[in-house]
Amino acid sequence: MRDWEAHVRQQLGDLALEDGERRAVVAELGAHLEDTFEELRRQGLPEEVAVERALSQVRDWQSLRRKIQSARMKEGVMTDRVKQVWLPGFLTLFLSMMLLMLIQFIGPKPWVVSPHGWRVMAPMAVIYVPWLLCLVPIGAMGAYFSTRAGASRRRAFVSIFFPVLPYFVFFIVGFPVCVILDDHVAHNVVLSALWVGLAAWVVLPAMALLAGAFPVQILKSRRVASA
Amino acid sequence: MIAPGIKRGTAELAVLSVLEDGPLHGYEMARRIEEETHGALRFTLASLYPLLYKLEKRGWVRGAWETSGTGRRRRCYRLTAEGKKKLAPIRKEWAELFRALKRLAKVSHA
Repeated sequence: MRDWEAHVRQQLGDLALEDGERRAVVAELGAHLEDTFEELRRQGLPEEVAVERALSQVRDWQSLRRKIQSARMKEGVMTDRVKQVWLPGFLTLFLSMMLLMLIQFIGPKPWVVSPHGWRVMAPMAVIYVPWLLCLVPIGAMGAYFSTRAGASRRRAFVSIFFPVLPYFVFFIVGFPVCVILDDHVAHNVVLSALWVGLAAWVVLPAMALLAGAFPVQILKSRRVASA
Repeated sequence: MIAPGIKRGTAELAVLSVLEDGPLHGYEMARRIEEETHGALRFTLASLYPLLYKLEKRGWVRGAWETSGTGRRRRCYRLTAEGKKKLAPIRKEWAELFRALKRLAKVSHA
């Protein structure tokens, strides 16, 4: 009786898998060869011809070894989710935060009248509006990297909206907690402050990010359709 | 005769479809596909197992060693819940492709 497993083991050589897994692959492929051989024998083929036919299923064992290795190996650090969501997401988050910081530090600082006299201070709009405008190309960048990595529409949107997620979490979770714990927050302005905060730091930035991402998505889907 | 390139594209659909009826080991699977397609689709050991392992890694099928009535141990594959969920859109894609090709064929014959 032919030892099919030994043949497979010899042909696959140094299959780069863990011991147990390698043994399972060898046993499974050996069983397949054995079943093929027996079926051919039942059909009345001489033993030598049946062996030859069974073995002819694999023309290139080295190629099969590579395919099995690549199919069975655990996914590396760079999984699809990392490439499609986390990397573009953290990139957009990092850029949006850095830009906000840069605008605050080195952006325009107009002299404005304050009740306490002249002083250097940047009104909210001076920081906020440029930042909002900067989010448009950042959104486009997130969409580009995410779709280039083959992300689905859902994953692409997660990475695009990533920069506003911390603010969203803050206003939904952190803000109510602060209100409960901190006596200094005036409770009569809480609801209006929540809506204003959500609009200014979540809704409007999300729209700006989307404004940049949307053309990229359309361009990408057109390219796919024309391909 | 169907060209290998076209066969490669259909492989996932063929394997998932044949497993929809119940668990099978690799050799049975290859035989069933060949029988049901009247020989149009043939899977060899070299083409079947890398695909099965890939589908297993994705979580669409799950393999487990089982002992048959004759005492032989074979690794049987089952379609997972996720695999069942994936089969529907794959079928839809292929149906769309066939419709598109049908339309195209009509145009080219006109």
